[in-house]
Amino acid sequence: MSMLDIWLGILQGLRITAAVTAYGLVFAVPFALVFGVAQFLTTGLTRFLVTAVIEFWRSSAVVVLLFVFYYVLPVMGVTLSAMTVSALVLGLNSGGYASQAVRAGLQSLPAGQREAGMALGLSRPAILLLIELPQALVAMSPTFVNNLIQLVKATSLVSLVTLTDMTFRAKEISQTEYDPVAIYSALLLAFFVVCYPIALAGRWLEARVNPERGAPHGI
Amino acid sequence: MLDRRAPATSTLQSVPLVRIDALNKWFGALHVLKNIDLTLRPGARVVVCGPSGSGKSTLIRCINGLERFQKGTIEVEGSSLGRSDRDAAMARRLTGMVFQSFNLFPHLTVLANCTLALRRVLLKSAHEAEEIAMRHLTAVHIPEKARAYPAELSGGQQQRAAIARALCLDPRIMLFDEPTSALDPEMIKEVLDVMIALAKTGVTMVCVTHEMGFAREVADEIVFMDQGRIVEHTSSTDFFDRAAHPRARLFLDTILSH
Repeated sequence: MSMLDIWLGILQGLRITAAVTAYGLVFAVPFALVFGVAQFLTTGLTRFLVTAVIEFWRSSAVVVLLFVFYYVLPVMGVTLSAMTVSALVLGLNSGGYASQAVRAGLQSLPAGQREAGMALGLSRPAILLLIELPQALVAMSPTFVNNLIQLVKATSLVSLVTLTDMTFRAKEISQTEYDPVAIYSALLLAFFVVCYPIALAGRWLEARVNPERGAPHGI
Repeated sequence: MLDRRAPATSTLQSVPLVRIDALNKWFGALHVLKNIDLTLRPGARVVVCGPSGSGKSTLIRCINGLERFQKGTIEVEGSSLGRSDRDAAMARRLTGMVFQSFNLFPHLTVLANCTLALRRVLLKSAHEAEEIAMRHLTAVHIPEKARAYPAELSGGQQQRAAIARALCLDPRIMLFDEPTSALDPEMIKEVLDVMIALAKTGVTMVCVTHEMGFAREVADEIVFMDQGRIVEHTSSTDFFDRAAHPRARLFLDTILSH
């Protein structure tokens, strides 16, 4: 098998990698926004509960979460497809990280921004939506791009719950062709080819939403 | 030149716009406002001065509910500003506030800063909101900056934009919290000039400032605070010519001698 064949064989898993990422975002984005904002706004017991949920998803090992949701939940009568489990676990883990960026972005705004909104008679939700979140999300956009790249890379774990992603394809090929150097080099390259454009797009986005600060240049 | 609603009618002249009674506020264990009594009549131009930490800013921030207080009452136009959010919202309808650090919204153009509350609070149409905003931006001499972002403006222009933003909602009282303290000396004048023009329109103004020249020119009442108390509240001429309280005389000597 030539290097090109190996490479094309691995790319057959790209569809699954992309699907897990996309469905993962369906969980990650709402979770990050809702829980990040909730942690910012709440106090006392509510804040403790919000933090507990975030920490569960953020501080658990993704591999372990995948196994628990895929192999343990069916014993308790809940059976989810491998795709659902993967999107849920990877998405909420990634969303847990991103929620901290949302919260930190909101907390880093000067109190004067909220006060100016209050002095103009805006309601708390209006201040959040029109004044605080737009600024916080722009400030945190480099972190969100980081989170997205990490999400793509974490999809390599879904091969452990039977999904035929790029990593699974690499392992399949390595069972028929004993050529670990070529196969895993090709896999490495495949992930780079997927992730690097995301980094570039993130840089472009950052420059666009925040022209005065200046995104990094070079490769 | 600054467009204002008609001055309060004669029946309102006798009713105080703001009445503060035995106001006390603590930040934790720190007693920052001690038994403050203060009445503002419509059209009053009041300068609040005093050494730093005397509670000046906290006092005016209580008037529009940015700070809660623990004891006493504040009435704005006859309705009591207690401790609930609802009361604070009512007070904010009647007051405009200008901050030391401008607090413009950096992600919005100057025009959008001005129209935001017109659209979202007063529910004006985009066209009407822009018309009102442009009128006030013209009055503070920066109509050409309407489409610029705050970061593209000088400090003096930013503060004038902030004044325009507050005026857009047609407040009954304008509160100024050290509006020139964050400005370079050459920009102070352009902001004070706008405030002097505003004073001539008859709007009620309460201004925390160290600008004694401005106080002498514009204020008709001076409130002097020290350590959380109002130690002197007199007409501007009395204050500058014969301040009674030794602390006030010391303050004046220090601030006027340099």
